[in-house]
Amino acid sequence: MIKRAFFGILKPKLHYKQIDEAPAQPTSVRASQKITLYIDDPDQNTEASVLKVGDPVKSGQKIALTAKADSSYLLASRSGRISNIALFVGIFGKKFTAVTIDMDADAAQIMDDVFKSASQTPSLENARAMLAGLPGKPDFNVFLSGGHPVKTIAVLGADSDLLSITRQYFVKNNIISIKTGIDLLRKITGIHNVILIVPHHLAQVAGSSGATVKTVDSEYPSAHPHLIRQHILSSEAPISGAGVAFFSAEAVSAIGAAFNTGKPPLEKLLSFISKDGTRRLVSVPIGTSAQDILNEFNEKIKDGDQLIVGGPLTGISVYASDYPVLPDTDTLMVLSKKKIVEREESACVNCGECVRVCPSGIQVNLLVRCLEARKFQEASDRYDLFSCIECGFCSYVCESRIPVFQHINLAKYTLEHMKEAEKNNV
Amino acid sequence: MSSNTIKLTVSHAPFWHNGSSTASKSRNILLDSLFAVVPGCYQYGRAAAGVVTIAVASAIIWELLINFLSRRSISVGDGNAAVIGMMLAMLMPATTPWWAVVTGTFLAVVIGKEIFGGIGANPFNPAVLGMAILMLGWPFLFDFNASVLNYAFDFKAIYPLVLSKSFGAHAVDSFTVMELLKGHQIGGIGATFGIGLIIAGVYLMIRGYIRWEISIFFLAGVFATALFFKWLNPFYAGPGFHLFTGYTLIGAFFLATEDASSPVNFIPMLIYGFLGGLLTVMIRNIGVHIDGVLYAVLIINLVHPLVDKIRPKAMGKGVSHE
Repeated sequence: MIKRAFFGILKPKLHYKQIDEAPAQPTSVRASQKITLYIDDPDQNTEASVLKVGDPVKSGQKIALTAKADSSYLLASRSGRISNIALFVGIFGKKFTAVTIDMDADAAQIMDDVFKSASQTPSLENARAMLAGLPGKPDFNVFLSGGHPVKTIAVLGADSDLLSITRQYFVKNNIISIKTGIDLLRKITGIHNVILIVPHHLAQVAGSSGATVKTVDSEYPSAHPHLIRQHILSSEAPISGAGVAFFSAEAVSAIGAAFNTGKPPLEKLLSFISKDGTRRLVSVPIGTSAQDILNEFNEKIKDGDQLIVGGPLTGISVYASDYPVLPDTDTLMVLSKKKIVEREESACVNCGECVRVCPSGIQVNLLVRCLEARKFQEASDRYDLFSCIECGFCSYVCESRIPVFQHINLAKYTLEHMKEAEKNNV
Repeated sequence: MSSNTIKLTVSHAPFWHNGSSTASKSRNILLDSLFAVVPGCYQYGRAAAGVVTIAVASAIIWELLINFLSRRSISVGDGNAAVIGMMLAMLMPATTPWWAVVTGTFLAVVIGKEIFGGIGANPFNPAVLGMAILMLGWPFLFDFNASVLNYAFDFKAIYPLVLSKSFGAHAVDSFTVMELLKGHQIGGIGATFGIGLIIAGVYLMIRGYIRWEISIFFLAGVFATALFFKWLNPFYAGPGFHLFTGYTLIGAFFLATEDASSPVNFIPMLIYGFLGGLLTVMIRNIGVHIDGVLYAVLIINLVHPLVDKIRPKAMGKGVSHE
């Protein structure tokens, strides 16, 4: 935890972690016995599911919920047999189908070669059908959804939360494969305007990617996609949000490797932060349980500790240590019980700290009063609820220790839920 | 879904906090106020120490009582009641009788804060509201000239603002800025020792416990308005006199900056502060009251929600989120 500075006259600042000059090689961690894949499944139409318990699975095989082309899927990172299919409900009711695969006992993995032939003729359809489960979770739907036409591809080489160095590692060490990935993206999408966004210290390395390089400040939350769009890409694309497709550096590098070799990469790189604050880069098969990583580093967790998937400001704390590493898990951190900040039900004292740190210029002091009274519609109409980019800075500085960020997310969730219900009732 | 028996703590992001709290802010303001209160107690003796202790203690007790009566959780731990008590004591003359102090803290804590919903919900600075009601109710108790009759000082024991109001700038020539800063004037327990108040104020501004914009522009307002009056008519005392007499310094650093009743945006803070300074000198020079700070603070408290509407547009405002 970074404490309040002695000098409080200036705005509080949090800085992103910089990758070392010579970063250590990532430690490879093996999954023990099984992997679990949480596949996005908002509709929960399990009847249509094509998956069955007992199905054999090959490494690299697409695990899709339905046979439809737009069905969400992940890639099995290890071969084995499906042993369990269950509903998993994540934060704010986000629904997943959890598919557990018991790994084959023998070390020799059976590779799925469906993608191999497809990789000969790179196309957007192939990529969407086969590569959305790559590490970094590339989203190809933005090109095909028929909304605003995409004019710019932004590759994020700067990490979005504090402590993580995952994306920086790719820019620093895998710039060649990022270049391959960018070239491929250009080819399959026909979009030539690709911008690589990196922290200042990586600007030189990033130059060899062949993309336009733009830098972001080391100050949180400047590497947030919304702010990047607002401050860096505003000349490239309309502010309204459309026109830019964001990819993480890891995803682009994986796309490059997938088309080059015909084999999609299935190992996720993540920054693991242990209780004492040590940070290690870890490379694991997607679906590996967090417990396997904890075991590898002899990290013991006790009752009351916190296991956080994602960074310290925007991550999600999970209920069980068998939570799997997913394609978009950049950071895994353990927080010991005594470092956990207690939130309070005390009233806002109107100190204004949140208003001064808010990157969106929201009047958080007024907003939070509205939210505490559960006047969500008013919060959205009058107090800019939906301008929030969810950086969590307001909760970090709150003197009354109000869970502002949680209030905001709850309000957004409730309103969206209501809107959905209205739509269905019509 | 898990055979895991470890019970992890689950909470919403963020998982870090900068460690600030209302209690630590109150603690800092309380300790900091001693820069002005200790010299005050030295000047006025045990009576002053009595007023301070009764004020702080009774303020805490009033809040505790309200906590019990309204069946809310005990909130005295945040230190806000103690701060209100301290502020009130700093404004009072050392000879204030105990019952007036206790009534004052009742007015401040209960009427000024608790009935509006407690900390953060008060529209006015509670201490200022309490003091203003006391002064209206028992004006003779807060006549600073009468209050120090039994003291022997080695400086002119007349409330400087009374002199300047009745006899003009000439009468206060003997009050040089240096003398005023050293506290060689009569007044409230914690309101006269200028050097201490400035040290306290600068500390609070640097630490970010008060918003410097408000304090600086309050003082700028006093300075500019006093200068204007002086230029208009030399009968009025100059800016140096107005800055360091009465409640100006305590008003700028401790009263106008109270969180709940002051704005949070940059430009509104400047307007709010400047308006406070302007009203202070206006009331002193052409109003009926001797010191204008209390009423000026109450008035700017009243306009704070209005000025705080001057604010930057939120990002993406006016854009459909469909």
